Amino acid sequence: MSDDKSKISSLNVLTAGFIRQNPTFSQVLGLCPTLATSTNAENALGMGLATAGVLVLSNIFISMIRKLIPDVIRIPAYISVIASFVTIVNLLMHGYTYQLWTNLGLYIPLIVVNCIIMGRAEAFASKNGILKSFLDGLGMGLGFTGAILLLGITRELFSVGTIFGLRIWPKTYGMFVMMLPPGAFLVIGFYMAFFKHVTNVRKNKKVKG
Amino acid sequence: MLKHLKMALILTMLMIVIAVALDSVYILTKKPIAKSDLNAKLSAIKSVLTDPNTGKLLIKESEIPTSLKQLDSKVWKSDSSGVLYKDDKVKGYVLSPAYKFTTKDGKNAYVLVGYGIGFGGRVITVAAFVRKDDGFYENAIRVIDYSNETPGLGAQINDLKVRKRFYSIPNSGFESGLKVNKDANLYPLKNGYLSKLNSYKSKGIVVTSDVMTGATITPRAVVSTLNAMYAFLKKEAK
Repeated sequence: MSDDKSKISSLNVLTAGFIRQNPTFSQVLGLCPTLATSTNAENALGMGLATAGVLVLSNIFISMIRKLIPDVIRIPAYISVIASFVTIVNLLMHGYTYQLWTNLGLYIPLIVVNCIIMGRAEAFASKNGILKSFLDGLGMGLGFTGAILLLGITRELFSVGTIFGLRIWPKTYGMFVMMLPPGAFLVIGFYMAFFKHVTNVRKNKKVKG
Repeated sequence: MLKHLKMALILTMLMIVIAVALDSVYILTKKPIAKSDLNAKLSAIKSVLTDPNTGKLLIKESEIPTSLKQLDSKVWKSDSSGVLYKDDKVKGYVLSPAYKFTTKDGKNAYVLVGYGIGFGGRVITVAAFVRKDDGFYENAIRVIDYSNETPGLGAQINDLKVRKRFYSIPNSGFESGLKVNKDANLYPLKNGYLSKLNSYKSKGIVVTSDVMTGATITPRAVVSTLNAMYAFLKKEAK
């Protein structure tokens, strides 16, 4: 019985970031890099995966050291851990995915200050075991990747008519504004409203049920 | 007191673990990073030595360097400081080494690497200049490091549609001092400006505001680099 309960809660931890507590559309965290790097699907996927990687690794490590770190020095300790993983990801991307590294540029080092990572370290990894922290990092990371990818696909499609560089409709139908910050705000606003609507519908169903 | 010492010790231990981990990854990635940077440079050199109008190489295919050794054999000028020329006024720098090739028709082609200061730091550009009877003629450019520029804005600098605006600039343009169109009071652009791009280039005006909306600092960094490169060539390639 307790095994079942543990399985369900682990599944809940993993899936929380997908829709219910999606870091972008529901918690509205880390919007600056999300809006800036979602100009096309490739950049968005790269940024999403880099952030997810850092999130998973930092959640695991912070959960491992949570009992060793005194409360008053936890923030500098967590920041140091997160900054180290970001540096590692930055070095790996420079060595193995040069073009993506050049495209994402400034926003890779800035993953350090992405509130999603610090937020999950503080709210979850510092209070839970390694497995659950891993699942939380993975779930939130996938939720973030999915959200930024959705934005990237939409903006690329409506600005230049392609998805991952594959032509869907002629470029002349493109709306250049989608490439610019106003386009990013419009698209994210639309998706936030959609996610809110889906959450409300699910809530109402539960109440009626 | 003991409590503070304990905290200091814990933080020190954590930093040691982090330092060891980072050092290991740095050593592991040192070679792949050097390889990636070299590949980017070699690919950029081939690209700038290609005529943008005909798509044909300016030099023989066999002369295109494909390794560090071959590239080193083409070094024309170098300086141990790492910088061959700097123009502090426009913040344009030419990096060491500079390379020299011979075109199919026997002219000298210079490939220079330089940088200007963009939004987040260095914007590194590779450019080829061909020496003609009336002076230096810029063939093409490739921006190889714009990693600190804003994605979607300044980071579009190496997109072909943007790069093209810096291609085939005659020496008359450089003599006037290259400027982006916003700095040359050519903004907003008038109807029919697209047919006048070459005429603007000969006056030293590089039109970028239509292909890089919202980004002026990054193209300005490239323009500063090209101005420094031209000044360096005038001084050194007599």
